[in-house]
Amino acid sequence: MKTKMDFPNINERRPEGLDENGRPYRVLIVDDSMFVTKQISQILSSEGFEIVGTAGDGEEGVEKYKELYPNVDLVTMDITMPKMDGVTALEKIIEFDKNARIVMISALGKQDLVKKSLLLGAKNYIVKPLDRPKVLERVLLSLK
Amino acid sequence: MRVEYINPFVEAAFDVLKEVLHTDIHRGELFLKSATQSVLGVAAIVGLAGDVEGRVLFDMSAETAIEVASVMNDEKFTSVDDMVKATITELANMITAQAVTKLHELGFKFDLTPPAIFTGENMEVTDTEVEALIVPVNLPMGKLEINVAVRERA
Repeated sequence: MKTKMDFPNINERRPEGLDENGRPYRVLIVDDSMFVTKQISQILSSEGFEIVGTAGDGEEGVEKYKELYPNVDLVTMDITMPKMDGVTALEKIIEFDKNARIVMISALGKQDLVKKSLLLGAKNYIVKPLDRPKVLERVLLSLK
Repeated sequence: MRVEYINPFVEAAFDVLKEVLHTDIHRGELFLKSATQSVLGVAAIVGLAGDVEGRVLFDMSAETAIEVASVMNDEKFTSVDDMVKATITELANMITAQAVTKLHELGFKFDLTPPAIFTGENMEVTDTEVEALIVPVNLPMGKLEINVAVRERA
């Protein structure tokens, strides 16, 4: 008789937020909207990602990245923010760590800024409104 | 006011609201309001400046704002707190960004201000130089009014 050991259990799918060693990917969220920060954080946490920091503007984002480095795997970066916008913050982070993995979060209509970000080294982008499949897909692609 | 300015806002509002609220929405009759209008209780205002200038107001009652934010956050709120305000701000952001993209495609160039949220009772808004067009949107959570007062820069 077969035991249940013989069958893969679909409930035991490995959460997407873990790397090949089962360690959670560490994420820094940079966004001036509490709502968006919470949304991203809920989506990623539910897949096992670890939110290691949040920042409310670009300047704070760059500082937090430097503080956390090298213990951070990915940054989600809003484009329109007070003090320092996301594109400038992206430039500063890449200057500091050329391997930084940054995903831009953009409202519709910012194609030029998204293009500029990708040329500057952003790994991917997500256009709001955010939803779970879109966020997970783009984040995971950026980590590959 | 030319209706081509307001249509992009209405289309964008429908697209975004459908997507974030996962629900059917119905458009009420479009109407023109007199110079002074009452504000329902929670209003997000976005300014436009460029070829087209004026402002767009997304206006709803406190109860509706709480319900909308509860759905968008998948969490029950009971008052218009900071998270509810942040959620409504983001909603206004998403709708205006999409509307502006459409207007840019039609050849109008202008900038937007970040949204500001007004809350309170017995508020009124007065536009003396630009007429306002209102599109009521009926949601399961209550009524939302898209109130657009824009004109072409002389």
